[in-house]
Amino acid sequence: MMNRLATTVMGLAFAMLGAITAQAEEIAAPTGAPILTVTGDIDTTNVDDTLVLDVDRFAALGTVTVETSTIWTDGVNSFEGVPLATLVDLVGADSGRLLASAINDYTVEIPVSDAVEGGPILAYRFNGEEMSVRDKGPLWIIYPYDQSADYRTEVTYSRSIWQLDRIEVVR
Amino acid sequence: MPATTHMRAKSGLTLLVTAGLLVLAAIAFLAINVDEEITQLGSARSDNVQWSLSQAEVEFLEYARQLDNPTDVVQLTRRFDIFYSRVSTIETAEVFAKLRAHNDAEERIAEIRTFLNESARIIDAGEETILTQSQALKDLASDVRPVIRLLAKSGLEVFSRSSDQQRAEVAQTLTQLAVTLAALIGALFIGVLYLNRLNATLAGRERAQAQTATRMNTVISTSLDAVIVSDERGRILEFNPAAEATFGHHCEDVIGRDIGEIIVPDHLRDAHEAGMERMRRSGERHVVGKGRVQLEGKRASGQTFPVELALQSAKTDDGEIFIAFLRDISKRVENEKALVEARDRALAGEKLKTDFLATMSHEIRTPLNGLLGNLTLLRDTRLSKEQDRYLGYMESSGRLLMSHISDVLDITRYDAGKLDTRSEPVHLSALLEDIIDNQSGMAVENETTLDWGWDGEPMHWIVSDHDRLQHVMMNLVGNAVKFTRRGKVSVTARVDAIDGQNQLRLDVADTGVGIDEDLVDQVFDDFVVGETARNREVGGTGLGLGIAKRFVHALRGTISVQSTPGAGSTFTVTLPVQAATPPALSASVPDLVGTPQALRVLLVEDNEMNRIVARAMIEADGHTVVEAHHGREGAELAESQPFDLIFMDINMPVMDGREATRHIRAQTGPCRNTPIVALTANALASDQTALLEDGMNSILTKPLSRDALRRVLAEYGTEALEEADPMLVNLDHSAETRQTVGEAAFAKLVARFTQEVDDLLAWLGSSEPHDYLEVAARSHKVAGSAAIFGALQLQTTLKELENATRSGDTSAFEHSLRKLPAVWSETKPRLL
Repeated sequence: MMNRLATTVMGLAFAMLGAITAQAEEIAAPTGAPILTVTGDIDTTNVDDTLVLDVDRFAALGTVTVETSTIWTDGVNSFEGVPLATLVDLVGADSGRLLASAINDYTVEIPVSDAVEGGPILAYRFNGEEMSVRDKGPLWIIYPYDQSADYRTEVTYSRSIWQLDRIEVVR
Repeated sequence: MPATTHMRAKSGLTLLVTAGLLVLAAIAFLAINVDEEITQLGSARSDNVQWSLSQAEVEFLEYARQLDNPTDVVQLTRRFDIFYSRVSTIETAEVFAKLRAHNDAEERIAEIRTFLNESARIIDAGEETILTQSQALKDLASDVRPVIRLLAKSGLEVFSRSSDQQRAEVAQTLTQLAVTLAALIGALFIGVLYLNRLNATLAGRERAQAQTATRMNTVISTSLDAVIVSDERGRILEFNPAAEATFGHHCEDVIGRDIGEIIVPDHLRDAHEAGMERMRRSGERHVVGKGRVQLEGKRASGQTFPVELALQSAKTDDGEIFIAFLRDISKRVENEKALVEARDRALAGEKLKTDFLATMSHEIRTPLNGLLGNLTLLRDTRLSKEQDRYLGYMESSGRLLMSHISDVLDITRYDAGKLDTRSEPVHLSALLEDIIDNQSGMAVENETTLDWGWDGEPMHWIVSDHDRLQHVMMNLVGNAVKFTRRGKVSVTARVDAIDGQNQLRLDVADTGVGIDEDLVDQVFDDFVVGETARNREVGGTGLGLGIAKRFVHALRGTISVQSTPGAGSTFTVTLPVQAATPPALSASVPDLVGTPQALRVLLVEDNEMNRIVARAMIEADGHTVVEAHHGREGAELAESQPFDLIFMDINMPVMDGREATRHIRAQTGPCRNTPIVALTANALASDQTALLEDGMNSILTKPLSRDALRRVLAEYGTEALEEADPMLVNLDHSAETRQTVGEAAFAKLVARFTQEVDDLLAWLGSSEPHDYLEVAARSHKVAGSAAIFGALQLQTTLKELENATRSGDTSAFEHSLRKLPAVWSETKPRLL
């Protein structure tokens, strides 16, 4: 428990650091296979008016690790990814909602207000391994469910979309 | 009672609190349950499961559709991967645990896994393989399609059942909660009712206590006795107005102070402190709860006074308290003291009076004895006719005076509890006969007939006190005769058996003047004399009946009177009696035999007059007398000289007669065995026994009579002589008498004696019926006369006759009677 909390706090620190660096530089166009495409009303772009990130650039945003159990997995597992707050800061979305879509075109709506420090992350590693599509990759929005009962709700579960590859920011 | 209520209230409250806590715990438990249920509902761990299942089916259909266009390998692979991830989720996710537990579902999932693995081998092999084996993929997909459908259906079934169960659980928990809440409300309601009632009870009790306290305060403050309350250390808690008045302290000054310091006198303080200490230590109480105790108290001024104290203790919440009720009894004690003093004074006065009376009577009697003795001696001298008459008057006056003094002495002796009675055989018939004889002269004078007799079976011999009984009957008969003129006095004796006890009843009935009604109740009181002329005429001290009453009481009897004024009175004496055995008859009569020898006599007597009289009487019989003036002188004389006989007075200065007797008996002198005869006016039976124990041989009562003296002299003078046949006539004795009385008088006496004996013989020889008692009495009288003239054989014969008649021995009587004329005819010529 303590261990997990410490990890979370450490992750938060990294996230803030990442946010600062992200704002400081332009993000280059991806060289590898893109794992996330951000569209919509965003400040930061690299391919046309979208922001496309491959694994390296995505990880470069700053990752944190959340250890939690979920209703879809067995036991407590370690999830590593970029906090949603980092992404929201990066694209300058301080309000509105995010429309997150999976590769099967399934879309959920996440209010920007959910993107808080210590809140949901865009996980790309499950127990240290990058996630394949069969393992709900490439990205999975994970809330720290164990941390608060507020995260163990129907709404939160419905927002925990896996096989995520696109986000549209709507202000 | 308050303690019990208190307890009950306490246990009730405890019960209530426990019940409330239990209900609260139940509610808390149920609330947690409900919360969990709500959390479960709220956390929706399973709600999207069905959606996930159906979504899996959708993904499978997407994949299957993509198989129709296998050339887009990337899309096909993606569709497969998506479906794959769905199934993986179903296989591992916690939310599907229930589904997996379902037997059918488990099998179906396994079938789907087989499908996935087989399809994945083809898809993972690369584009070429996918294209070549697309038909195989299609077959696999179509095979598994119904399985996926059935799995979705199973999921629906499992999860709907589970949610039903959950709803039921929620409903049940809510119901329990409702019931528990109802119970709580009920408990609270009962609690409220109970507390309400408790409150009412407490209020009522408080009111009652307040009333009691008010009442107590009123009682204490209006109490006439001082009331002081203290705690167990002796500190004053209350001090009522009466206490203020009694002790002179103000209540507010003494509250809280030590009670010993305030009310206990200084000299009793230590004892008080010790008592308090003892009580504190051991609980031992000497005064508390022991009723009223008389003690001393102290006023504010320091003055001590007697108080009456009652101390009680009571237990209170603040420890034990002591309530003292005190009463100032100075007045009462003073009165008691005065009363006791007055009584003591009165008693002392009474005693002084009695002592005075006794002393005076005794002092008067002694010289009177001397007077009477000298009169007796005077009669023996030659007197003129006139002198003889005066002497007679003097003698009768002297005897009357003596009898009055004896009366007074008897009364004082009785009242002092010193009147003893003897128990001896008494010949009641003879006693009454003597009295009748004695009074017959007076009766004749009053022209009154006097007789007596038995009513019923006579009891001649009884156990009684001869002298006392004689005194009583003499008094009653004498009174009856005195107050009856030309009438009749009759004495009746009878014995009744009452309750197995013989009771003698003696009635003295007269036909005289009677007694006034208002005097009847007083006749037995002292100094009561009638007021009538007749009473004054007969005279009297008024002591006679008083003494009679005392004597009767001393004999354990009763005396009473019934009287009708003018018609007569009947006095009745009743006595408890026993029949007595007649004393043995003595055949010979040596008592009256004259003494042939002169005796040497020691006379120990302090009173000069008594000495003179006794000496004259003793010397008159030819004995020699040596005088001693008191016991010591007597004892000394007895030690140095021999005596034949000693007369010993009892009450003497220097050494009394009893001590002198003990000395004489203890010494080795010549008189160690000499007979000693006590001379005493005190004839009490118990005293006589004491005298004999001292060593005296016999007792003579004063005043001395010549006969008694002579009998004693004869008894001890002839002791050494052999008992001889009675002489016909003791001429020596006859000569002595002749010498004593003078020749002329002697001749006259002989003539009278001769006549007496002749008369007796004539009477005895006559044909009229003879009363045995009369025979005895007359024989006795003549025998006494015969002794004076030394006519021993005549005397003996007469004595035999008397004894025979008294014992009723007919043959002995006839024998004596036949002998008598012969003896007389022989004696008669020898008298002169």
